[in-house]
Amino acid sequence: MLQGRREEVPDRGRKKILILGVGNLLLSDEGVGVHVAERMMEMELPPGVEVMEGGTDGFGLMHVILEADRLILVDAVKGGGPPGSVYRFDVEDCPTAPDVFKTSVHQISILEVIHLSGLIGSTPQTTIIGVEPKSTSMGMELSPEVEAEIPKVIRTVQEVVAASLDHFPENRVVSA
Amino acid sequence: MAKRITIDPMTRIEGHLKIEVEIENGKVKNAWSSGTMARGFEALLLGKDPRDASYVTSRFCGVCFSVHQMASARALDAAFGARVPWGGTLLRNLVMGAEYIYDHLVHFYQLSALDYIDIMAVADYKGKDPELNKVKDKVVGLVKRGDTFPLTPRYKPDEFCVNDPDVVISAVKHYLDALNMQIKAKNMGVIFGGRAPHYQSIVVGGFTQLPDINQVARFRSMLDEVAAFVEEVYIPDVVAFGTGPLLPLARAGVGGGHRNYLSYGAFELNESGDKLVFKPGAIFGLVGTKPQRVEPFKPEKITESVRYSWYKKETPKHPYEGSQVFDLQRPEAYSFVKAPRYENVPMEVGPLARGLVDGDPTLLSLINNHGVRPGAVARHAARAIETKKVVEAMYQWCDELTRIMTKPGFRIHDTDHWDPPAESEGAGFFEPPRGALGHWIRIKNHKIANYQAVVPSTWNASPRDERGVRGQYEESLIGVPVPDPENPINVVRVIRSFDPCLACAVHLIDPKTNEIRRFMVE
Repeated sequence: MLQGRREEVPDRGRKKILILGVGNLLLSDEGVGVHVAERMMEMELPPGVEVMEGGTDGFGLMHVILEADRLILVDAVKGGGPPGSVYRFDVEDCPTAPDVFKTSVHQISILEVIHLSGLIGSTPQTTIIGVEPKSTSMGMELSPEVEAEIPKVIRTVQEVVAASLDHFPENRVVSA
Repeated sequence: MAKRITIDPMTRIEGHLKIEVEIENGKVKNAWSSGTMARGFEALLLGKDPRDASYVTSRFCGVCFSVHQMASARALDAAFGARVPWGGTLLRNLVMGAEYIYDHLVHFYQLSALDYIDIMAVADYKGKDPELNKVKDKVVGLVKRGDTFPLTPRYKPDEFCVNDPDVVISAVKHYLDALNMQIKAKNMGVIFGGRAPHYQSIVVGGFTQLPDINQVARFRSMLDEVAAFVEEVYIPDVVAFGTGPLLPLARAGVGGGHRNYLSYGAFELNESGDKLVFKPGAIFGLVGTKPQRVEPFKPEKITESVRYSWYKKETPKHPYEGSQVFDLQRPEAYSFVKAPRYENVPMEVGPLARGLVDGDPTLLSLINNHGVRPGAVARHAARAIETKKVVEAMYQWCDELTRIMTKPGFRIHDTDHWDPPAESEGAGFFEPPRGALGHWIRIKNHKIANYQAVVPSTWNASPRDERGVRGQYEESLIGVPVPDPENPINVVRVIRSFDPCLACAVHLIDPKTNEIRRFMVE
């Protein structure tokens, strides 16, 4: 239901691969996921692949996560590398902190939403493409360091998409 | 000797809300509420086309995005002199109504209920209900794997926690059902909003997307489902908890605070706008159900003090004159949140304030006939009561929309007032689920010259003001029982009952470890 590329052809039981960019557009590099999603919306993508922009929504993203068979999440990630570093890891590799949830008064993190979705449905296999931010201060533009790495981020997303398609033979385009 | 404890973070995003309390003889003696993250997104708007404001402000917050869009559009309506046609108002209200259902359900089940139940009691469920046994297996399975989050509460269950296995297991079942209901409520908003998050359709002058009959029918059938859940599950659960183990807390009015209440009023029930779901007004000094003074809402009475906030020192200003110049050197300051006051008095905003200002009969009967005093438990009750009221109004709005949308001349937007005026100003008020929200805009040379938002959590979470009077969170903690300083569960219950949301910001994944470096893409 979110903004994104829509499948034009009937899906023939295709698996849904969702590229979900999240972050806050008002906090410069914090919004990198949203910037990447917006650029990928302009690109040709294989059948069954959708791009969406999730802003900083938490619970509100649960339904799109549940509808996906494979999730590729693009977000700012503090991994300690130089600004613009690109990380790629599966959600199981990420030490989601239960401690963080315990102290939560209000919102919960996107990783927690992914875990929670497992309580009412099946959680898709999730890969996170992270980008090390330089600045998360107020501003609607990316820093030059992060901006320069956007092609690499997109390439990394595309590699994950390609690898996922190998696992989903039903998504192969059958020529007439 | 008083003992000081700090609860930080109170919200999931580090550094957003910090509560410090001083405990003496098992009770809170003093309290400080600090918003520890700089805000001030308003600065981004200066010099922009005023019509951008409703889109940019919707990015203030990932949770309450649509309500900022609404308040912003209303400020622009006022500044542009736009008159929103009845069709546009109905659509705006339907989208906002869906937001109420979504927000209140998530708040009660996902964010609060676990403070009131001993989740581990599910393991002792001995009943035969196959559905409930599935829930039991799920929870026990998580515990066995050592993966008890997201169900683990932070604090040890106390005497107010429900531990009857039958009650707990059905509460956990409802927690899971509520997850599905919030998805439905979110999707209802998307039907007319166009997308989520950050709807595209609420703009100055009204609404952008003409509805069709199928959309209204789809909206209505989802409304039927969530309305049934509200009626048959949510309200009975709130009643069961409030009249059961929480009754002593409810009757003691734990977490009551200043007992001043402000509502801007919201949700037109007729075209002239003189009938509202929530009436505007201010209550000063409630004792029982008897206010010492009730006043109509007058926007000019709002000022913000920065005496205890990390901003450049100045006398309290009306939001039109407000600014965001940080000063981190001020020794008195302890919060990035300003201290909004109404007639120089701290006010509570939110469901309890709306219900009391509105004189809601169900809420007043809880107070008058059941001895409930305004406080943490009453806030949960007020939230449930108003959810039902909004659901009922949503049916009326659907009927009204269906009646007028096929008539010739049906309009949803005032296109005559689309261009920004050269010079103007306007204020937009709304009552989002969390409480009174105001946006103020000043336009010069067709561009934004000043913009200020005073959000609900600013009212509730404010620090002390010009006269040193505590904010509502702070005051509501005074006297709260904390028998064990290691387990300040009542402090958390009180703060959570307000549905705090200072999360107008960061969404960064911070695994607090350099482990992630292993996964760097070369």
